[in-house]
Amino acid sequence: MNPVAVIGTGQTRHARARDDASQPELVREAAARALDDAGIRPRDIDAVVIANMELFEGRAWPELWVGEAAFAAGKPCLKVATGGTSGTSGCIAGFHQVASGLFDIVLVVGFEKHSEGHTQTGMTLTDPYWDRAVASGAVGNFALSVSQYMAERGVTELQAAQVAVKARRNATRNPHAHLQMPAITVEEVLASRPLAHPLRLLDMCPQSDGACAIVVASGDKARKLNPRPAWVKATATRHEQPYIGDIDRRLITMRTLRDAAREAYASAGIREPLKELDVAEIYEPVSYAELAWYEALGFCAEGEAGRLIEDGVTEMDGELPVNPSGGVLSTNPVGASGVIRVAEAALQIHGRGGDRQVEGARTALATGYGVYAWADVIVLADRP
Amino acid sequence: MTLGSLRRPVFVCGLGETGVVAEDPRSIAEMVLQAVQAAYADAGCTHADVDAVVSASIDLLDGLTASNIAVTEVVDAVMKPETRISADGLAAALHAAAQIAAGSYDTVLVVAHAKASMADYEALTRWALDPIHLQPLGVDFLACAGLQARMLAEDDTGAARRWAEIAATRRREGSSAFSGQCSADEILASPLVAAPLRAGMCAPLGDAACAVVLSVQGRRTPVRLAGLGWDLEAHSLGDRDLSRWDGLARAFGRACGAAGIGTGVPVFDLAEPSCLYPHEEELFRKATGFGGETLISPEGGLFPGTAPVVAGLSRLAAAARRMREGGAKRALAHGAWGPAGQGQAVAVLEAQP
Repeated sequence: MNPVAVIGTGQTRHARARDDASQPELVREAAARALDDAGIRPRDIDAVVIANMELFEGRAWPELWVGEAAFAAGKPCLKVATGGTSGTSGCIAGFHQVASGLFDIVLVVGFEKHSEGHTQTGMTLTDPYWDRAVASGAVGNFALSVSQYMAERGVTELQAAQVAVKARRNATRNPHAHLQMPAITVEEVLASRPLAHPLRLLDMCPQSDGACAIVVASGDKARKLNPRPAWVKATATRHEQPYIGDIDRRLITMRTLRDAAREAYASAGIREPLKELDVAEIYEPVSYAELAWYEALGFCAEGEAGRLIEDGVTEMDGELPVNPSGGVLSTNPVGASGVIRVAEAALQIHGRGGDRQVEGARTALATGYGVYAWADVIVLADRP
Repeated sequence: MTLGSLRRPVFVCGLGETGVVAEDPRSIAEMVLQAVQAAYADAGCTHADVDAVVSASIDLLDGLTASNIAVTEVVDAVMKPETRISADGLAAALHAAAQIAAGSYDTVLVVAHAKASMADYEALTRWALDPIHLQPLGVDFLACAGLQARMLAEDDTGAARRWAEIAATRRREGSSAFSGQCSADEILASPLVAAPLRAGMCAPLGDAACAVVLSVQGRRTPVRLAGLGWDLEAHSLGDRDLSRWDGLARAFGRACGAAGIGTGVPVFDLAEPSCLYPHEEELFRKATGFGGETLISPEGGLFPGTAPVVAGLSRLAAAARRMREGGAKRALAHGAWGPAGQGQAVAVLEAQP
């Protein structure tokens, strides 16, 4: 792929209900901040990509309504919708459109306003003939595969609770994060309301209202506009087959993520991800998923994920900080969540992470998760 | 504004369509499988030759969230990159072309599918309109088209007769699974559905799937996707000049720029526009400047019947097919979505010597 970089990021304040803002207003809040961050004006944008899951708000073609808020009026604008990966797939679409030679600057905006819809519409993704009668939504599906994962790899509820605590403590460093729980403890997570064994309330991500935007630029523009562009070193995407019964624990052990990571690392020249990556922003909708994905992403061998969290390897001061932003466990406007991963990874390369900055971050990983184990992997770095 | 050209060539290698019927009893997956198999047979390739998939569909129409999940297996996106664009199918093809030009993939399968028979499509389009100012009025895409037509007909007493003639002619040119041919007089006697549009003027909507294989490898095909452009207009009808498709004019300009050809020169010998109503054909001519030198919708375009989302990709397929048969050297395929053509997409196709 031709040189492409992320040169600006912007996100809204995320909350359970942003009653003060309409969907276009959320989009504008994030888009305007991204433009400010990149130091460009609306007229500098050549094209726009929007990421959103329309059924969550009951909209058809939501870009028609929110396009102008994303500075898209009179410009090329397309919407990407692939479940939880909408945001990362939208970013990859923006990378491809710039790399194609069509555009110099593309704005990618992801948004979701869950308070105006219902996430259980997500159940409709199941096959109406075979799977819908037994569909249980994200919590039930994760509970099934998490149980199998625990049995096979020896992960414990305590280790998962440590992930849940790490995410919420990191979120206190992030002024945009939805959940702010500075006093959270492992005991509190383990005592929180059971949802579906072994998952408890604090093991799960929240539902948030929010939007996030990134500015993508071609090589020359990027060098001109940002002293430290976050260059796109690699992207990889894998989708999975759609039947619950055929998926079983793959929902969480994710051969898709493993394969996508292998491809992305090869493209980026990364051999030892734990050593060579400086920071990772991964899309973990449930605490246990982060552990499973340490393994899928090659941060450790199979069965070693529990040790990684126990030893603090992925804490802010560890060898590879994972989700300094607080992750999806702290903020989850679905269509925006993937864009947030990429924006937070880029922010680290830009050196603009504020209290959540990882000192000297030069190589960053962002991942997306959606539907049934669909995976996106993106590697950003401070050099093209 | 940068008007870049594609960094790598993109060829239209395989075409597959189910054709349009009022109600197809098959599942979405079965319909898409037929289109994909036909496109592969046409391209002389298999799933193994395809690096990535781009699909186009509507969640609310399919009754599925992330509705590409209905076709993941039949497009063989399992353990493969897949992207879904929620717009007209031609826009999905343009994004696929950008992926190829970017050097990310060599061969991409593009799929568009919709079953208008599964829901009240016009009612559904209300859910695409601004829920604060427009949706409470009960306005749908048909009403928006009617308002646009009314604006054009305001000082044009001959408009209704002319549109009836266009619709009658286009229906005669194509074969249809819907009601057969009818005269302009019969169309003028059909009921008003969104004044001044009458039932007989509207392209009937049904069920269809279309698949197209795009590739950087063009040995087997004489058709190249030389230029592409798309555009999103302001949403509110009050914020636009409804007497024009300015968005199409911009998209057309970008596509011609990307293809390295000037606009305004009669260099297109074929156009396949996505017009659901006859006044849109006049808007299309105005935006592109196409006159008598350009053959427009020789098989009737969308008027014999079409399906939402599939429409624009089927226009690309129709144009490419005619070019292969030697019927044109340079063609424009067009897709549109949203109220009164808010979203516009075009592809410039060129026959290889």
